[in-house]
Amino acid sequence: MRRRVFLQELIVAAGLLACGAAAAGPARPSVGLRFLRPPGAQAEEAFLARCIRCGQCGEACPNRCIKFFSTQNGLASINTPYILPREQACILCMKCGQVCPTGALRPIEHEAGTIMTQVHMGKARVDERLCLSYQGKTCGVCYRACPLQDVAIRVGRLEQPHVLAACVGCGLCERSCIQIPQAIRIIPNRAG
Amino acid sequence: MTEPIKRPFLFRRHLNKLRWLSLGLVFAMLVVLPFLSVYQTYVAAHAYDLLPPSDKKLYDIMETLSSPFVDDPATDLDAIKGTTWSGTFFGYKISDPLAVVGQTAAGLTVYWPFVLSALVPVLLTLALGRFFCGWICPATFLYELNTNLAAWLRKAGFRLGHLHFDRRLKYLVLALGVVLSAVTGSVLVAAIYPPAIIGREIYYAVALGGFGAGAVFFVMTLLFDLLVAQRGFCRYLCPGGALYSLLGRYRPLRIRRVVEDCNDCVKCNAVCEFGLDPMRDDFGQECNNCSACIAVCPTDALVFTIHIKDLPDQGAGHLGRHYRKVHEAEALRQETG
Repeated sequence: MRRRVFLQELIVAAGLLACGAAAAGPARPSVGLRFLRPPGAQAEEAFLARCIRCGQCGEACPNRCIKFFSTQNGLASINTPYILPREQACILCMKCGQVCPTGALRPIEHEAGTIMTQVHMGKARVDERLCLSYQGKTCGVCYRACPLQDVAIRVGRLEQPHVLAACVGCGLCERSCIQIPQAIRIIPNRAG
Repeated sequence: MTEPIKRPFLFRRHLNKLRWLSLGLVFAMLVVLPFLSVYQTYVAAHAYDLLPPSDKKLYDIMETLSSPFVDDPATDLDAIKGTTWSGTFFGYKISDPLAVVGQTAAGLTVYWPFVLSALVPVLLTLALGRFFCGWICPATFLYELNTNLAAWLRKAGFRLGHLHFDRRLKYLVLALGVVLSAVTGSVLVAAIYPPAIIGREIYYAVALGGFGAGAVFFVMTLLFDLLVAQRGFCRYLCPGGALYSLLGRYRPLRIRRVVEDCNDCVKCNAVCEFGLDPMRDDFGQECNNCSACIAVCPTDALVFTIHIKDLPDQGAGHLGRHYRKVHEAEALRQETG
């Protein structure tokens, strides 16, 4: 009798684990959820394999921009860190890379040149139909929020923003945009 | 072979209290650290004047707590971060061996800085056995309170289950966890390992304003322990416990029974959280050196020794009724015959 109970439990446990594995699957592209990984993150697949879900990046973040997934993004990325720049953007302090024990977030020196070459969280994109400056109302808030002014973003006539190649995708422009919805967004880069 | 350490050694009965102190301290740390982290962010933002009253109070409390130790909270408090799963301690990174095993399986690569961060725990486990489970694990803190709750409920007349399963089940869980981590390329063991969950969830609750999915899992393990099998998760299912048991198989520090002093009262078996059988010399790799049996033994027959193996069953204790009856009959027979 005990053996049968044991076997039954074994089968149930195996079934549950199999379901979990099926749901987790290979790192699938997120649909509908536009989030950033913290700065210095590996490419998505390597990131998921490296991250041990210790949460130290969030604890170290002085700007409290790092949040953690529950099940919204599939079981594979449960408890992994992410950033929603419209809610709270990254200030590029690079503390998270320093505390990460596994190199899922690479340790990157807190220095503008290094950050520009090694951080690829995403890239800002301006929606010209929403942007006030493109509607003839001089704004320029995103330009002033950018930590890499004139390198990652420059402004033209009426402070119309133009994103340059050096943009690392910290999201401070998206956070600061005074339009609702925001006229400048970060398009995430998951290639690391 | 060395002789057993001669009793009575100092504090032997208080080791278990010391253990509770250790468990409590670790748990308290896990609660305080997220608050300190939040406080740090307020300091970094120079936000005191903008805070709502409740956060002002938190700021004040944390300032009082930390000001004797740090000059600049925004940077100096970075010295201690993380949880028992993986943490930073004055510049040294310390990780759970299970994290290293799971991560190496998931990534199929060895990242040496991370592997080395588990060196100290592994060495300690090789020497002291599964001590993490008894002395540090924040889940143990709650599980043992849960055991006490079960005892009270039983006393109050509730019928709670105490099923027994095969202890080797947890090695299967460990193996499955590692294999599935490798297959899915995601560190799955992190999601079912209670100490990792506890550290994380406390941080979520304090700093991010709510428990996550792991809390549900942990509450389920608590209910499993309470209603199905006493201390069942640690005994039968915990993958980390399985790894620690394997590492601690030949631990030099182990508890032994001095058969001459044992009176077969079975208190040690009753008090053993892991359902072991100290009275039959059955400790094995499961014993976590928690010393609860030492504290409860009325004749001080259980002692810490330096050996890498348990004794085989030494039979009935010499102070026990059964042993005395046999031997008195023997002596009587020799006198008369």
